[in-house]
Amino acid sequence: MPPLLEIAGLRTEFRLKSGVLKAVRGVDLTVEPGETVALVGESGCGKSITAASVLRLVPPPGRIVAGAIRFKGEDLLALSEERMREIRGNRIAMVFQDPMTSLNPVFTVGYQVAEGLRIHRGLTGADAEREAVDLLTQVGIPAAQDRVKDYPHQLSGGMRQRVMIAMALACGPELVIADEPTTALDVTIQAQILELLDRLMAKNRMGLILITHNLGIVAERAHRTAIMYAGEIVESAPTAELFANPLHPYTKGLLASLPEFGTPGEKLATFAGGVPDLRGDLTGCPFKERCPVGDDACSRETIKMTEVAPGHLVRCRKVS
Amino acid sequence: MTPLLTAENLVKQYPARGGMFAEKRILTAVAGIDLELYPGETLGLAGESGCGKSTVARLLTGLTPPTSGSVKYEGRELARMSKAELAQYRKEVQMVFQDPFSSLNPRMRVAEILGEPLEIHRIGDTSGRRDKVAELLSRVGLSPEHMMRFPHEFSGGQRQRIGIARALAVAPRLIIADEPVSALDLSIQAQIINLLQDVKKDLGLSFLFITHDLSVLRHLSDRVAIMYLGRIVETGSRDQVLNRPLHPYTEALLAAIPSIDPKKRTRHVIAKGELPSPVSPPSGCPFHPRCPYAQPVCSEKRPELLEKVPGQRAACHFSEEIFLKETK
Repeated sequence: MPPLLEIAGLRTEFRLKSGVLKAVRGVDLTVEPGETVALVGESGCGKSITAASVLRLVPPPGRIVAGAIRFKGEDLLALSEERMREIRGNRIAMVFQDPMTSLNPVFTVGYQVAEGLRIHRGLTGADAEREAVDLLTQVGIPAAQDRVKDYPHQLSGGMRQRVMIAMALACGPELVIADEPTTALDVTIQAQILELLDRLMAKNRMGLILITHNLGIVAERAHRTAIMYAGEIVESAPTAELFANPLHPYTKGLLASLPEFGTPGEKLATFAGGVPDLRGDLTGCPFKERCPVGDDACSRETIKMTEVAPGHLVRCRKVS
Repeated sequence: MTPLLTAENLVKQYPARGGMFAEKRILTAVAGIDLELYPGETLGLAGESGCGKSTVARLLTGLTPPTSGSVKYEGRELARMSKAELAQYRKEVQMVFQDPFSSLNPRMRVAEILGEPLEIHRIGDTSGRRDKVAELLSRVGLSPEHMMRFPHEFSGGQRQRIGIARALAVAPRLIIADEPVSALDLSIQAQIINLLQDVKKDLGLSFLFITHDLSVLRHLSDRVAIMYLGRIVETGSRDQVLNRPLHPYTEALLAAIPSIDPKKRTRHVIAKGELPSPVSPPSGCPFHPRCPYAQPVCSEKRPELLEKVPGQRAACHFSEEIFLKETK
């Protein structure tokens, strides 16, 4: 059976006045049913653009220039826009970071939660509202029959994020992409929302792509983790393996820089410099400038992902 | 030792209105807090959004006058300072803000941004100021050549370095930093944390560090205070509060942090529900509706912030029963 989602050789570029920005530079990723795959990286690494590419929602002037995105074996990039609309929000759903800007302020939350049901299932009026109440109850919103009549501004941040999750789940999707779903929330609320996502994922055997920069969340929630840097996945492994045995110098550096692992009052590990300019051609390893172990050959050769242990892949010449 | 900065029963209320015809109501952002900051120490103030921690920063810097209570700097009350004393206070107490994008004027060059505080406080002459700006840039890990650039030419991490340089320009004694690293990427966050620690050590500064991130709090603070709904619910040394909390809210905060270390992990969510509105705070203990240990008395009587063990204070009726049983 083909995987639930298979991204192969994805390249997404933005044609800017200052040059072609290669935001995603050949990403491979698979997700199985019931699996949570974390996509981790710092801002600008291409993780959100990868997610937008899956739904074919890359904002202009961006476009997908190469690769395949197969959903249960079917290439989404080959579908007509009309067929794509049948999948979007229905079989693949998205949870965005900021519920304040991704909910429409002039419609009630009940109306918005049921929107997918009206479009994809043809539900109307009272039926749609009943479903909306049911969905809001499932995501733990108290007195849902009253809340469906509320507008987004009447709800707290945590409640709005629950509404976003209810919207994503409305049509019973097989795959959910959550882009920083708890970044805007406080830790005690974050814990509640992540617990909720976990429970719903397990119950419905959904696949989840969890995009985040919070390594603690990844360690606790994801089955597999892929670390992105400058538009490429530089390391991917089962989560426990990745944190126990990080191999790529970037992954190692990120983990070492966390205050959680520092001694209070002592210096944290850092790496110098910044991410490379993604406009134009990058040869060799994009991390070479900041890498403590790199050498001249790293800037010349194209570095391939290599499997170093079962399921543990690294893009580094220095790891064998 | 006498404290450098003291807050006594500090209260800040704002008028809040529901709708056009709704009754005027009062939002209590800070509901009576006491704080002491000693020379050379870093006090970390933590809590979730809306708990009032940023209002505390504004009150302590004198950017906002308190509704009641007082702020004292070296024993002198802020509200009673003369103009000259106030100018001195504003020189010695500097702020570093969260957002390096909105806290620097986009139309000013770095030289002007860093030179402005020197000019205001009449430090040095034109050429002396230029040298000082160059020195400040080197101090925070930037190059003096960056002087003629505008803020948009820098990355987020570099802008935060400029924000720190601006605070250091007038040789302050105390820096109040409100979430100085939360807008930054992970690898940059570590660089800025290191920089803050360096300047603190080298210049012997005191720090009030406001954050919602307890791992950053643990790394930087000597003492910590945890705020909830406008009040300090627990305070003590870093190790006391973060290793053995005596307030259920601190415990819940610590349990909610996702951890990479499997040994530190607790799976269950122990704070139920959401932060109540500061317009109509719960009766009794502000945390009781979310507290897993709440008893009837908790909704009737508000617990005072009392010393439970030497150096550690908590505002909970049941600290002893919940957290100190085995040690008794």
